[in-house]
Amino acid sequence: MSDPIVHDIVIVGAGLAGSWAAMVAAREGITNIGVLSKVHPLRSHSGAAQGGIAAALNNVRPVEGTGPRGPLEQIPADGEPVDSPDLHMFDTIKGSDWLGDQDKIHVLVNDAVDILYEYEHMGCVFSRTADGRINQRRFGGHSAPRANFAADWTGHVLLHTIHEQCLKHGVNFYSEWYVLELIVEDGITRGVVAMDILTGELHTINAKAVMFATGGYGRAWKITSNATANTGDGVAVAYNAGVPLMDMEFVQFHPTGIYKHGILMSEACRGEGGYLRNGNGERFMENYAPDKMELAPRDLVSRSEQTEIDQGRGAGDDKQGIYLDLTHLGREKILQRLPQVREIAMNFLGVDIIDEPAKIQPTAHYSMGGIPTDVNGQVIRNAEGEPFTGFFAAGECACVSVHGANRLGTNSLLEASVFGRRTGYEMARFIEGGAKLHPITNPDPTKKQRERIERVMDKHNDSQAGRIAPIAEALKWNMTDNCGIFRNEEKLEKGLARIHELKGDFTKARVMDQSRRFNTDVLMALETENLLTFSEVVVAGALARTESRGAHSRTDHQKRDDTDWLKHTLAHKSENGEPVLSYKDVCIDWEKYPPQERKY
Amino acid sequence: MTQTVTVKIKRYNPDTDKKPYWKDYTIELTEDKTVLDALEEIKANQDGSLTFRRSCRHAICGSCAMMVNRRNTLVCTTPLKAVVNDGGLFAAKNTVTIEPLPYLPIIKDLVVDRSAFWEQYQAVKPWLMPPDVVPEKEYRMSQEEVEAMEQAETCIMCGACYSSCPVVAGNKNYLGPHAMLKTFLRVMDPRDQVPEERLDMIANANGAFRCHQVVNCIDACPKGLNPAKAIATLGKMSLRSGRIKGERAERMKKLIADAEAASSTN
Repeated sequence: MSDPIVHDIVIVGAGLAGSWAAMVAAREGITNIGVLSKVHPLRSHSGAAQGGIAAALNNVRPVEGTGPRGPLEQIPADGEPVDSPDLHMFDTIKGSDWLGDQDKIHVLVNDAVDILYEYEHMGCVFSRTADGRINQRRFGGHSAPRANFAADWTGHVLLHTIHEQCLKHGVNFYSEWYVLELIVEDGITRGVVAMDILTGELHTINAKAVMFATGGYGRAWKITSNATANTGDGVAVAYNAGVPLMDMEFVQFHPTGIYKHGILMSEACRGEGGYLRNGNGERFMENYAPDKMELAPRDLVSRSEQTEIDQGRGAGDDKQGIYLDLTHLGREKILQRLPQVREIAMNFLGVDIIDEPAKIQPTAHYSMGGIPTDVNGQVIRNAEGEPFTGFFAAGECACVSVHGANRLGTNSLLEASVFGRRTGYEMARFIEGGAKLHPITNPDPTKKQRERIERVMDKHNDSQAGRIAPIAEALKWNMTDNCGIFRNEEKLEKGLARIHELKGDFTKARVMDQSRRFNTDVLMALETENLLTFSEVVVAGALARTESRGAHSRTDHQKRDDTDWLKHTLAHKSENGEPVLSYKDVCIDWEKYPPQERKY
Repeated sequence: MTQTVTVKIKRYNPDTDKKPYWKDYTIELTEDKTVLDALEEIKANQDGSLTFRRSCRHAICGSCAMMVNRRNTLVCTTPLKAVVNDGGLFAAKNTVTIEPLPYLPIIKDLVVDRSAFWEQYQAVKPWLMPPDVVPEKEYRMSQEEVEAMEQAETCIMCGACYSSCPVVAGNKNYLGPHAMLKTFLRVMDPRDQVPEERLDMIANANGAFRCHQVVNCIDACPKGLNPAKAIATLGKMSLRSGRIKGERAERMKKLIADAEAASSTN
């Protein structure tokens, strides 16, 4: 393979966002597209999403007179709609604790219905209502049943479907390639440096447009639902290239991760009527969200669980968990609606949820922050919204921002799909509008990355060399302990100091594997460096934000502060490597959706 | 008291080793450790060069299919406790063996080359081919139609079935259980317009009629799916549609009957 490899568009990441963009751009006539994925495309983490994808299809409604948690029935042909994009929009704004940009949420909810039908026409096998329409269930923070689902493997069917469509449209995949650097010269994005993991060789890819769809960054925490691949490579690589990161301090903790493992038991468990119980058997959510109970948004439920645990009412022998009780749902419903969840509980807890509750705990789950973009995936370089020419992003690595301070369940599959699709159209317009291929002028573009890899593989001075794995482990505990669900100045200061120490340790650490071929030891070292890079941004942002909003909860600043903090954090990497914070206004329709107290 | 486990791992780096060899590691057995946890622990603390694939950790991404005690499985959801001492008649006590999936070229250690697997998947054109005119909203679909597809739809393409199949071992052109399960999904899909073409693709000596109904695929599938039955059904559909005539048809019918007998026991 001779370098540079040239494409019109190079996309990094083959989950829903990257695959949608590739498929759409290909359909629009751009034939020369390359998609890089660190794992095989079908292993992308989008496939792990379980519960549903939001869209106001109006296929089901609550049975009249049964209350907010009663059974659901299909809406007859002549029935009144119970849901609308407007209602979806309000729920999302409220869920975001008013940090989501309302103009962008408008786009999200208005594309939602259309994208659902497109998925269905492309072959997704959704669960059905009695009359054959796409079935819907309830989800936390949504005031209507609008989670469209395929049992509890929704992400899996969406991912497989969109990947098949990419194959149909002739997209080129580079499976098991890892992005190392975004090449920017004179302010123009020109391509990437990437490693072919199989051979260990570094390659330069020159392209007119580069898109990142690299997913989230939950792997910086010890207890996480995230796949091992979710190390935030895209956000770190972009940040190193001068792209600002937005709202990185907002990290969602999902209330129902398997105890100790963090593996997710879908919110669909609660959507289908599951209870949360503390060690005394009490449904404690009545003390925190009496109206919504278990179907309050994730930030609120996770805080409630942690409070129960912290106050000594946890479940299990060690009182460090909470019970997710599904036993009253009955065998049939569990087998039909939650088969994967049942399997997970059996494998990791040895518990059959038909008969026994499962022990769970909050788990780092979703990254609200990321690379700032407009609604068409164009990355912006500053608070004024100036474009970062030739660079696009979508999905969890991006921050549009539609989720603000807290994402509602089922809005992430939607976001990845909607903004992936829009980015595909936008990149096609960009190319067809005469975008040039700016050559890479650096005569040795892979040098910096080569040296970085040689450094971690260097066997000299072994007496001083530390190991990489303990650094990653220490970082994850540090983020869990000091930048978890509840934060304060003291913890965050301590967390930041520890990250600086670990960065120092990293410069002296070495890998053990000395081979070129499929060197996952080197891969983990590079990932660990990325974790350290963006974790510093997360903690710095959290330390500066002296308020509690959505998933960012400060015990020393317990109130939301709209006077000072109704704004997005932007972090640029300074010359000495530390993040410099600046702020950007939130887009709010003050007449229609003014900030109000967030109660459930 | 802590119990220790010997983890025997088959190692091989084609760049430096003449042939694969076994290497033993010792770790502590705890209640909640999976086989994947064991591999992660060995890589982190004992031998950073140990190479394997993994990602989601809960049997949905399909990365970590390997052989544990000579059986194809996903290591992420296999409890270590459950496979210690189940290694068969000649296995040592407190021992578990881990090897790469068989029949596939080894890239390094437990990582195998699945290119042929993916080529076969792509060869059956796995995407839906809907009619030119689509409805304004969704296609209506019955519960029965959804259920008929559910089995095939939940396949995660981990390759455990593929590399448990002796036909795959002997014939590189064989489509494999995964590709035919995907074909089954599309043939069963009421939205698909080309089921006949799909049957043509698999009704040949490299497809449904090469399946010997050894049914290893059923044992190997970590998702509890039944590719053998799907293949037999496709074969039957293809016979019914009159694609195969005469003596050959009789032989096929017998194969299908055998297959049904075999799969009904599972």
